Parts: sequence; structure tokens; C-alpha cells
Amino acid sequence: MPHDQYNGPDLPSDPFETRLSSALHDTGGLFDTDRAALVAAGAARGRRLKLRRRAVVLGGAATVVAAVLGGALVLPGGGSGAGAGQSGSGQAGAVGARPKASPTPSPAPAGVTKQQMISTLEKLLPKGRLSEQQGRGTDEEPSYAPMASLVFDDGKGPAAVTVALGRVQPGSEEARQTVLCPDKVYIPHDDCRTTRLADGSVVMVFQGYEYPDRRVDTKHWLAELVTPTGQHVSVMEWNAAQEKDAPISRPEPPLDPAGLTRLVSAQEWRALVDDIPIDPNQQTGGPTRAPEQPGAPVRSTLQTLLPKGLNVVDRSSNEAGFGYLVVDDGKGASLVQVNVQTGMSKDAGALFGSGSETLPDGTRVAVHQGPGEKGGEGVVMWTVDTLRTDGRRVVISAFNSGTQHDAATRETPALTIAQMRAIALSPQWWK
Amino acid sequence: MRQVRADEYAEFAAARAGHLYRSACLLTAGDTHLAEDLVQETLGRLYVRWSRVSRADNPAAYAQTTLTRTFLAHKRLRRSTERSTDVLPETAAAASDASLRLTLLQALGRLPVKDRAVVVLRYWEDRSVQETAAALNFSSAAVRTRCVRALARLRQLLGEDIGEYVRP
Repeated sequence: MPHDQYNGPDLPSDPFETRLSSALHDTGGLFDTDRAALVAAGAARGRRLKLRRRAVVLGGAATVVAAVLGGALVLPGGGSGAGAGQSGSGQAGAVGARPKASPTPSPAPAGVTKQQMISTLEKLLPKGRLSEQQGRGTDEEPSYAPMASLVFDDGKGPAAVTVALGRVQPGSEEARQTVLCPDKVYIPHDDCRTTRLADGSVVMVFQGYEYPDRRVDTKHWLAELVTPTGQHVSVMEWNAAQEKDAPISRPEPPLDPAGLTRLVSAQEWRALVDDIPIDPNQQTGGPTRAPEQPGAPVRSTLQTLLPKGLNVVDRSSNEAGFGYLVVDDGKGASLVQVNVQTGMSKDAGALFGSGSETLPDGTRVAVHQGPGEKGGEGVVMWTVDTLRTDGRRVVISAFNSGTQHDAATRETPALTIAQMRAIALSPQWWK
Repeated sequence: MRQVRADEYAEFAAARAGHLYRSACLLTAGDTHLAEDLVQETLGRLYVRWSRVSRADNPAAYAQTTLTRTFLAHKRLRRSTERSTDVLPETAAAASDASLRLTLLQALGRLPVKDRAVVVLRYWEDRSVQETAAALNFSSAAVRTRCVRALARLRQLLGEDIGEYVRP
């Protein structure tokens, strides 16, 4: 972790810096607030965020905080070799999106050398001139995430290209978020698509900018691949010879989305990922690793509860916690999604305000009908939120479109509020 | 969230909330409402990612990084709410703690937000240049540049002898 690193050379040497530090500590120390209230509000926000995130694992639309993408970006720190290592390490530690290998390498996987990383990248790139190769193997302190970077010129101008490898827990939230397109609200970009390859791997191709505020229009494109077994490959490129502080050398980075996808999904990377030493801490976390989800698999349960006459045209994976179906009653696609949660009693106040209904058994029911949250033209979102006295919650939302972010395909969702209510209150969710 | 983990989270949040809030007050140059909002958002994000945060070598540093990034993301989205700091005198007058606090906060408020984040991480969190770079997704060179610029500006605003106002 960065905090544990030796930072002697950075300690303030200038008396002004020392005074500033003292002044900051004195000033900062004077602030105080109702911490309990802050903590409670933070947890409530977390629970809402979790729900919202589950609700957007569809069609590449996503609500992701900036840190998610930040976490995926393990980049050299601006050119220097030392900077590269430190920066990568810091991100792995600070954001944790990138799993670290063990500080005491196990004998099993062979490890990945810097040279393997560089030569694999060189081999997989299209024809062009290569220079400024840098890399990091799993044997190098302080980070064990292997990476390579170089400047690639296909004849249209030099461009920085980097690749980094790692592992994620298959099926984990981390795995899912790695390939989730960030929300444009958080990270402006021109395009971002997530696609599933024939082998079950998921690739996100993101086309954005190095500087979110676009003070310099350096384009930053990247592809993230996560395989079903948790291999994680990350490729990035810029339309400049360095990620920062280098002039724009060409209109666009050299690899188009198809080229990025080809490079990121090359089998060679996966073989190298398998050679990354395994972190025992990542392996032994059994109970804390498995995302706990209550109740029955959501998608199949939802399917059994749907009224007759609806044709299912698309579906999510079938897991506990969250699922969706896109149904069509002949009048157009309609997305129906369900979240199932436990332990939500604490949020009853926030979720079920005035206008909510309480059933004889104490179950709270709230109905919301409003515009969709993802900007699809004319999209409406109908929601029935139910909370049982034991904290079990089922939320069903239906849209008048097959996705939240595409324009409406019909006037209203394919389910009525009454139908949604019946579905949400079904005991089948808890079987 | 599983009960044990929920308890761990609650314990962590309770232990760190005060420090995060104070950091946020410095980042926001004394905008305590925004600071509360940022800490809530940060705690919310930590809640969502708790299984990962709890495995981090230093969850407290992770939390601080999340706060800083939340702050920068907020500033990116809402430039117009930048505090007006026109009232700041060009040189600081000798003063009590209360006015040091005000003066220092006003001076922080005059820094570009990223420079301010660098200053807070470096001199309040006592992070190294490398750590600051990692937390902000900047290069080390960029952190150094921002730091030098921010210090020059603060010197100008606070005076070289800022130490006079600091309690012994």
C-alpha cells in the first residue's frame, strides 16, 4: 500500500511546507460534525448505490463512479520507469481494482517477465514502427501487475500503447464492473460498448479522453477484457506518444475498436495471466469473497411470475439478487428488472415515504412512475417497491423500451402496476 | 451485505468519518455542507465496494483516495459552484486561530481544485508524491508541478511566516 512505502525523499524540506502542514492540521482539526449521522447517511447512500448499480447491468449502460474506471487504469506514471512502477502500485493498492499477486510468490505459476510482456505486445500489434518499449514483470517491486508500454507508429503518427494483466474473481462485482461502461456523467466519452465474445469473455471498448475536462483533447481509448475464469487484460492507447504532456500526434489512436478488441482478446495474454503468481490473500477469502445474495435466482423466478402472452426477447443471467427480462407483448420491447435484497429494514423510512401503503402483514409498498434514469428519449420507468417487516425487499421496474438508454419503443411498459405489484409480492422470491 | 461484513463496515465508517470530514472540509475550502455530502458519498461508495476495501492493505488510505476522487468528480461536474474567495486580502494579517482558519481556507479556496487536492494529500494526509500521484491518477511529474505552483500561490496569499499563526 502506498502509505507503507518509504517516503523520505518527499518529506517537506522547506520550512514553509512544514508550517503549511501544521496549519492544515490545526485548521482541519477544528472541524467536527455529527459523525453518527454522517455514517448513517453514508450507509444509506451505499445501499441505494448498490441497488442502482445492480439495476444497470444491462446492455452496456452503467452507473459507475469515477473510481471504477480509475481503478481499471494501471498506467505508467508519465514516462519514467520508476514512476511507472509506483503509479501502478499505488492504484492497485489504493483503488484495488487490480488484484495483486503475492509478495511471497508461490512456486506454482511461473511468473511473467518484462520481456515477455513487451515482446507479446510487439508481436500482436499490426505493422508499424515500435519504440520506447517499457515493461514490468511480476518479479518487480513494488507491483506485481505485469504491464508493457511502447510507442507505436503505423505511419500516421506515434501513439502510446500500454497493456496490463491481472486477475479478477470470476462472477464478482469487481469482474462485472471492470467491463461496465462508465456513466457519461462521471466520465465523459464518445463511445463505450460492452460485448460478449463467443468464449464467454466480456470486452469493454471505451473511447474517451485523457483529460476529462478536455483541456487538451488527447484521446484515450481502452479495452478491458474479463474471461469467464477471471483473467483480466487491459489495453490502452492514445493519439499522442505519451498519455500526458505530449502533443497530439494524430487525429485518433491507431487501433480502432475492432483492433483493440483483437489485441485485448488475444490468447497470448491469457496464457501470461495464468503465469501471474497467485496471491494467497486473494485465494483464502472464501466467505468474504462470494457476493452474498438472498433468495431464488431472479431471472427464472421473474419468468415464472410473468402474465401470459408476453414473449421474452432478451434476458439477464440467472442469479440471486438481480435479474431482468425484455418482454414483448406484440407492441414493442419492454424491459422488466427486479432487485431482491435482504436486511433493508433500516431504509424503510427513506424508501417508503408518504404515499406508500402498508399491507395488513406490515409489508410496505411504494409505487413510482416517472421518467427513466438513463436518458432514453421518452422512456418511462414504473417501479413497485416492496419491503417486508423482516427486511426482505423486492423492487420491480418496467420500462417502455428494451433498454433504459434507448428511446421509447411504446407508450407504456408491457406490465401494469397491478401486475408488477403481484409479481413483487409473490412468495416465490423467497423459496 | 452479510452481517459480519456489515459490522466491519460500520466500525470502519464510524472510526474514519471524522477524519474524512475534516479532510473534506479542507478539500472544499471550508464548505461544510459540501464536505458532508462528499463524505456521505464516499462512505456510500466504500459500502458498495466494502469486500474490496476491507482487503486493502490500508483501508483508511483507500477511503481517503475515494474521497479525493469523489471531490474531483464533483468539481468537474459542478464548476459553477466554486466558492467565491474575492474577500481574501492579498497578504494575511496576524490573527487568532479562528482567522488563521478562515485565511487558510480562503487561500485553499483560491487554488485550482486539483492543486488543492494535491496540497491536502501532501500536507494534510502526509502522502508522498508517488502516493499522491497514484491517488489522483496523475503522473508524479504532474503532482510535483502542481505542488510547486500551489506552494508559490499559498506563500503569496499567506505570507512566508504562516507559522506565526499556528498554535505552538
